[in-house]
Amino acid sequence: MKRYLPVFIFFLFFFLSSFSFIKAQEFNFSRAYDDYLFNYNQYRQSYSEYIAAREAYLSYQTLTSKTQALEKTLKMLKDEDEVIRNYLTALRMKAAETTGISNDEQNILYLKLDNEVTWYTRHKESLSSAATLEDLVASSKKIAEKYQTTEILIYQALGTILSGKETNFRNQLSDKIQQLKGKIGEIRQKGDKDTSLSERWLLEAENRLTRSQEKQFAAQQILAKIKSSDINKSNRYNQAQFTLEESHQYLKEASSYLKEVLREIKSAD
Amino acid sequence: MPTEILNQDFENIPTREEEKNTAKRAKRPIFIFAGIFGGLLVILLAAAIFFSLNQGRNTTQTKPTPTPTTTPEIKEEITAPSPYATDEAVLKMEEEMKSLDQELTSADLKESGLNPPVLEMKIKFEK
Repeated sequence: MKRYLPVFIFFLFFFLSSFSFIKAQEFNFSRAYDDYLFNYNQYRQSYSEYIAAREAYLSYQTLTSKTQALEKTLKMLKDEDEVIRNYLTALRMKAAETTGISNDEQNILYLKLDNEVTWYTRHKESLSSAATLEDLVASSKKIAEKYQTTEILIYQALGTILSGKETNFRNQLSDKIQQLKGKIGEIRQKGDKDTSLSERWLLEAENRLTRSQEKQFAAQQILAKIKSSDINKSNRYNQAQFTLEESHQYLKEASSYLKEVLREIKSAD
Repeated sequence: MPTEILNQDFENIPTREEEKNTAKRAKRPIFIFAGIFGGLLVILLAAAIFFSLNQGRNTTQTKPTPTPTTTPEIKEEITAPSPYATDEAVLKMEEEMKSLDQELTSADLKESGLNPPVLEMKIKFEK
């Protein structure tokens, strides 16, 4: 048996290395989101350390406390850049995995997100050259300013993801309406059942789809109007998200009407 | 010792070719074993790839679903069925509509897990 051992070890090594290689290749939303959460926890930790170091420096004003404050602030700012970078990557992956977003929309969003990611990567790299606390304060002001525009992109990306979901549902319902129209047309031709009630339900369902589309458009308009000067951008986003929920309600109604059509088809006159 | 030499069957001494054949026969189980083992590992690898891909797909599709509402679903039985009550196309559409309706009900339109991170942007070293 000993002579088979090298063969066994070779195949086992081959198997395990191939498996880990495949796992390493697979980068999806779930993985990106886990990375983001990990970085966010790290940021919270380094922020607490920065606060403690800052307090110590302000109280003692010693060289040691200043060095410590510089070190902790630098780490916190680097982690901040990393969190934003990872969050934007997670958003990109979510957009990639959401059906219903058109290719054009997706490409524009990717381009914008990638530009932001590049900015934060470069900013993180530039932090290493900061020599004093004043340099770091100036650098933090740069992120704060940049984040004003990044926040707009974040809310618009979230809006695009939610809108994509709605579009996907609406497309599916629209397909069902077309299928039912075909079936009703077939029944009408045969003449063995009255189809007027079913046709009315279908019209109502189509009407709900149009209203849903209008609401979705209104939500997109709200998101498009967010400005970097807006103090509370999340309020605007919440408003858009509520409008999308209204749009979704219309889709639910359309779905229930289609179920009624099927019920009507199955029932005798 | 010389007796042993005398007892040797000189007529049946194996030729070189016979010796090679017996050596080949002895090696054959190693190749069979390696072949079976290799084959099993390839199958295992294929299964692992398949399941890992599927798992990845499943994890991305898992969405937090809201607590189901307690409103009972009123099902009205069709007392007088039409000739289309058993129509295959109609029944298929009905099934598809049911699943679409469930998807609509359980859709997550908040994505609260994706809310932007809370960050402290302003740093200062003044009291």
